[in-house]
Amino acid sequence: MSETGPGNAPDEAMIDLLIKQVTEGLSPEEQRALDVLDSAAASEYSRDFERAAAAIALAGAASHPESLPADVKARLERQAEEFLAGRRSGDLAAVRDAAAPTPLARVKTGVVGWYAAAACLLLALFAWLRGPPAVAPVAQVPPASTVPAVSPPAIPATPALPPTPAEQRAALLSQPGSITVQLAATKDPAAVGVTGDVVWNPMTQQGFLRFVGLKSNDPRLQQYQTWIVDGGRDKRYPLDGGVFDVPAGSSEVIVPIHAELPVRVLKAFAITIEQPGGVVVSALHHVVATGATS
Amino acid sequence: VQNDCRNTAESVLAILPNKIASQSMTPSVLQRVASGDSIAVRECIEQYGALVWSLARRLSRTAADAEDATQEIFLQIWRNASRFDESKGSEKVFIAMIARRRLIDRLRKSANEPPMDSSDEVLDSVEWSDPGTAAQTSIEAAEALRVLAELRPEERQVLELGLLRGLTQSEIAERLGMPLGTVKSCMRRGLIRVRECMKGDAERISGRPDV
Repeated sequence: MSETGPGNAPDEAMIDLLIKQVTEGLSPEEQRALDVLDSAAASEYSRDFERAAAAIALAGAASHPESLPADVKARLERQAEEFLAGRRSGDLAAVRDAAAPTPLARVKTGVVGWYAAAACLLLALFAWLRGPPAVAPVAQVPPASTVPAVSPPAIPATPALPPTPAEQRAALLSQPGSITVQLAATKDPAAVGVTGDVVWNPMTQQGFLRFVGLKSNDPRLQQYQTWIVDGGRDKRYPLDGGVFDVPAGSSEVIVPIHAELPVRVLKAFAITIEQPGGVVVSALHHVVATGATS
Repeated sequence: VQNDCRNTAESVLAILPNKIASQSMTPSVLQRVASGDSIAVRECIEQYGALVWSLARRLSRTAADAEDATQEIFLQIWRNASRFDESKGSEKVFIAMIARRRLIDRLRKSANEPPMDSSDEVLDSVEWSDPGTAAQTSIEAAEALRVLAELRPEERQVLELGLLRGLTQSEIAERLGMPLGTVKSCMRRGLIRVRECMKGDAERISGRPDV
C-alpha cells in the first residue's frame, strides 16, 4: 500500500492507471503497480470513473439501441431457468460469487473471512433445514419450495454438520453418469509432485477436484482457478470453474467446481494460478494441472 | 446544441428526487432478483437484454463473442443483484458497469487475436444519442451527455473511440495520429469532468457526499 491516505487525491500517474483500468484493462505489471499504490481515495476514484464510463457508454448505446436477437434471448431464458434451479437446490455458486473480490477493488482482503463465515452459516442452516441424516447424495437436495414442509427439530441442540467435500465427492461418484478424469501435473514449478483427478457428472453439472501435493497459496496474492474446456463452445474461452485456495499444511484437497455456464461437451480441465478473485480469460502463464476426457 | 443538452439535463435533474422517491417505494428488478423473486430474473432479460446486447456488440470482436459475453454478463447481474444500491446510481448504470467489466476483461485477454470485425454495421453506427433519448435512458446518461457537449471535439472523439468502440489508448493514438500522452490527457479531462458532475449531482440530491 502507498503512503497515500484515504483523504489524499491520487496523483496524475495513478489517475491515468485508474482510467486505463476502467477503459481497457491493465497489464499484470500495471495491475501490480496499482496494487502497490492502492489507497481508499484511489478506490473511490476508481468507482467514480467506472460509473462515469458506464454513463457515457449508456449515452452512446441510446443512440442506436439494438434489439436482443431471439436466439440469444432464448439462450438467456434457458440460462435463467438453470440459475433458478441452482438457487432452489441450494447451489452455493451465488455465495462464491459474492465472495469474489470486486475486480476494481481487489485488495480488500479483510472481508474474505466474513464471506467464508456467511457461507458456513448457510451450510449450517441448510443442514439444519434438511434434518439429521448424516450423509446424503448431493443431488437429493430438496428444492427450496419443498423446504417449508420439512419440520425442523424443535430444539436443534446440535445442528447436523453438512457433508464434507470428500463425502459429497463420494456421493457424486456413485451417481449414474459420473466420470473420473485424471489430472496430470505440468512443468510449472508450482506443479512439482502434484497428482489429482476430477469427478464430473454431466447430468447434474456438478464436479469435484481432488489434489495431493498442490502447494498452499496466499489468497491475497494469487488463487488457483479451474477452467473447463467445453467442446460445445468457443474453444478460445474455456469456462470459468471457480477459484479456490489450498491452505498451508493440507495433504489432500477436494474442491467443488462451480461452472459459470452449463458444460455442453466436456473436453478437458485445466488449473491455473491467477490473481485474487480469478480472471475472465486466462493468459495461461501458470498452468499447474490438466486433464482431458478420453 | 450545448444549450439544448444543458436544458434537457437540468429539466431531468429537477425531477430526479421524485424519481428516486418513487423508486424507493417499488422494489427494482434487481432488488427483486436479490430477494429471490424468480419472475424478476426473467424480467431482467426483458428489461435489460437490449442494453446488454448493445454494449456487448460494441465491445466484442464478433457476434459469437457478444453472445457468449451476454450470457456471462447476465449471470453476473443475477448473482450480484444484492450489491445494487439505488442511492449510488441507477440500475442501468449498475448493469452497464457489470457489462463493461466483463467485456473489457474479454477484450484485454483476446488482445492478440485478429481485430474486431469491421464489417459489423454496429461499429459504423456508433455515435452519441440525442439529449432526449439519453434522458430517457438514465439520468446519468443525460448528465454525461451534457458534459460531453462541453468538451473539446478531440476530447469527445477520444472518449467515443475508447468507451463506445473499445479501442485502447494506443489504438486511439494511432487512429487519430495523436501522441499517446495527448490521448491520455483527453481521456483524463473528459472522465474527470463527467465524474465531477455526477458526484456533484449525487451530493446535491442526497445532501451528503456520495461515498
